[in-house]
Amino acid sequence: MSAALNDPATGWEPLIVAFCCNWCSYAGGDLAGTSRMNYPANVKVIRVPCSGRINPMFILRAFQRGADGVLVAGCHPGDCHYSTGNYHSRRRLSAFKRILEFVGLEPERFEVRWISASEGDKFAEEMEAMTGKIKALGPNRKMRDARWKSKSLSKQLK
Amino acid sequence: MKKLLLKEKWPELWALLAHEGPLYLPVEEGSVVLYQLWQEGVKVNLEAVNSTVSPKDIFLPREETYLRYSCQGEMLDLEDVESDEPIIAFALHPCDLKAIEMIDRVFLNQDPPDALYKKRRENTTVVALACRQPDPYCFCGVFGIDPTDAPGADVMAYLTEKGLLLEEQTAKGKILLEKAAPLLEVEADETNITVDVKTQDFGLQVEGLPEDLQERFNDPVWDDLFRSCLGCGICTYVCPTCYCFDVEDYGHEEGGERFRCWDSCMFGHFTQMAGGHNPRPSRKERVRQRFMHKLCYYPETYGEIACVGCGRCLRSCPVNLDIVQAIKALGGEKVG
Amino acid sequence: MEEQISEQTVKVKKAVSQDLLGGRIDLLLGWEKGHYWWQSRPLFARSEKDLERLVWDSFCAVNLSRYLQDELKENKKIGVLVKGCDARAFNRLLQDRIVERERVILYGLPCPGMLDYARLTEEGGSDLEGIIEQDGTVILQTKEENKEMPREELLLARCRNCMHPDPVVYDQMLFTPLGDRERPEHFKAVEELERLSADERYTYWEKELSRCLRCYACRQVCPYCSCLECFVEQKSPRWQGRAYQPSENFMFHLVRAYHGTGRCIDCGECERVCPVGIPLMELNRKLIKDINELYGHYEAGLDPEQEPPLLTYRPDDPAAFSEK
Repeated sequence: MSAALNDPATGWEPLIVAFCCNWCSYAGGDLAGTSRMNYPANVKVIRVPCSGRINPMFILRAFQRGADGVLVAGCHPGDCHYSTGNYHSRRRLSAFKRILEFVGLEPERFEVRWISASEGDKFAEEMEAMTGKIKALGPNRKMRDARWKSKSLSKQLK
Repeated sequence: MKKLLLKEKWPELWALLAHEGPLYLPVEEGSVVLYQLWQEGVKVNLEAVNSTVSPKDIFLPREETYLRYSCQGEMLDLEDVESDEPIIAFALHPCDLKAIEMIDRVFLNQDPPDALYKKRRENTTVVALACRQPDPYCFCGVFGIDPTDAPGADVMAYLTEKGLLLEEQTAKGKILLEKAAPLLEVEADETNITVDVKTQDFGLQVEGLPEDLQERFNDPVWDDLFRSCLGCGICTYVCPTCYCFDVEDYGHEEGGERFRCWDSCMFGHFTQMAGGHNPRPSRKERVRQRFMHKLCYYPETYGEIACVGCGRCLRSCPVNLDIVQAIKALGGEKVG
Repeated sequence: MEEQISEQTVKVKKAVSQDLLGGRIDLLLGWEKGHYWWQSRPLFARSEKDLERLVWDSFCAVNLSRYLQDELKENKKIGVLVKGCDARAFNRLLQDRIVERERVILYGLPCPGMLDYARLTEEGGSDLEGIIEQDGTVILQTKEENKEMPREELLLARCRNCMHPDPVVYDQMLFTPLGDRERPEHFKAVEELERLSADERYTYWEKELSRCLRCYACRQVCPYCSCLECFVEQKSPRWQGRAYQPSENFMFHLVRAYHGTGRCIDCGECERVCPVGIPLMELNRKLIKDINELYGHYEAGLDPEQEPPLLTYRPDDPAAFSEK
């Protein structure tokens, strides 16, 4: 399956879900946009109030429903709008990343990054980098629900 | 006349039968034995008396799709999910077959019968395996089941030193053995193939118990019996006579499916209603329901207790709250 | 030494009967024999007659603290027999504010580990008739002959990994403490899996989890699973579907294990009760191991005053991802 989908002829493009905190990373994405920086359209941004809002079930649900990679982006440690939200998410998401890898997910498919509101360039770079890594890995089938839009898998984001 | 299948030819028979359609047989996986589809490399275990989970899922799968659809714009395409594949259920023990007979009544003795169940049942050829040595948990004798005889089977099989003795019991069974004919020996030694299998009875006496229970819905016995129950669904899922299911949908804008899947009366959400009311609000009502269903409601409708003494709840209940304990607490014991 | 075990039972009975019959507690949670010599099941004792059935032997695996959440609704004060793991479970419940300390009397039982019937029959054959215990060894009695084996080799997997056989919280310790144990192989199974490739690990877990019946026994016995409503039953949003798809299996098992991060007391009850033998503790231990590596050694349930690692942080914490 993955060989066929990796074939450029089928037009496979990865789907990446980026959960961005409202106060820093989402604003960073905005800055990237208003500064006319390019980053791949493969990334679908979901705005959350804080990286500490991320429930691991969000991440699993994204993989169930066809994400090839998931990124959580939040304020740099010390800069959290809610003072400590990202300190907590650093611990939680570190543990969750490790357990995801333990059940066989490739490390590149789930990432966490700290991106501030002024780092539009970093936002664009990170999205570019993640997309590149996922493209190299190919489509994700792990933890994906076999019933989820299987027919359109190859047409994804064509 | 019985025919012998030598031990060394078993894998050949399985390969041959699996070629015809899905072949389910007892497969060992680590510490558990489950009826699974045969494929090259699986570890078949015919010595195990009772599989960890009953083979009921051959006929009533844990999950079964009712309908599948795909949509494009306003067009909806329904996909046919019924299958005509002939299924072979291999090495089912007499107690488990008796349990299938009990589930049959629920799914088939009504109008209309359950179509998916009916189809699977009709498409399946059952090879029963007589028990040679009971498991310490077996108590089928309490319910009058002969562990060496399965009247409902298409083929009856007996384990011997040399291999398996096979005997057809129905026309379906005859067809199956004809297919297997090249692998079978003509001469078969039939001495001592059935042994006197003694299961224990825990001193149980279940005759008359169902009538006695009708008036005991509010009996104080229920106030104590449920206490150790953890509220998990093990007993219902390993049980060969439990058949409850739920229906769920899975869908998205491009299509979806409706399927049924096992459910358990031991779960609080089993009876949870949309408005929030739950007629079985605690473990007490749920434990009572399960045992009353086995010992009173089912016999009221179909004439016999819905337990075959397979002993799976005795083995798997984490706190040993099993049907023997329930029957004893309700007074189903021999006097003296 | 079956003799010694029954002596122990007598001592336990004596200790608890004063409190139960004197009215200091309304209910005693203990164990009684089930149908078989290899099964001891929970006993809810309220009277002298109930207490006659009490036993303390090598098969009292069930964690009784788990019943406190419900029983405290009906009883003012409850006495509980606790092994090492059960006491840690009690601390877990205390920390989660499920129980009130002053409403429970804990009778501590230093625990040499519980025997595993599957192991006993593996060694002694299916016609095993009984066992005799003599310090540190077990004599397996079969029809033909007796076989002697070190007790340690016949324990439940969870007990072979136990580091704290003595209750860490109790009102009365009933026997001499046994002392903590070193378990150099505690993370061995986890480390072996870590050495596999990502694809091999995925194949392994997909297969192991494929047996899951979704009976939720692992959740029901677990002292860290005390949520009034579990994510599994939440209707909106609906996280857990009922299909037996690999994706649904991963959803349940990853979230179940993850909810125990820094909270799992490593008692192994989940693995003991799983009817289809899923190695659940490999997931739980992986999380314990990672928390230890990343945020400092922590053993849940040992000290209820110590903050669980996911409820706290340090500004200079390391991360399992790049922080550049």
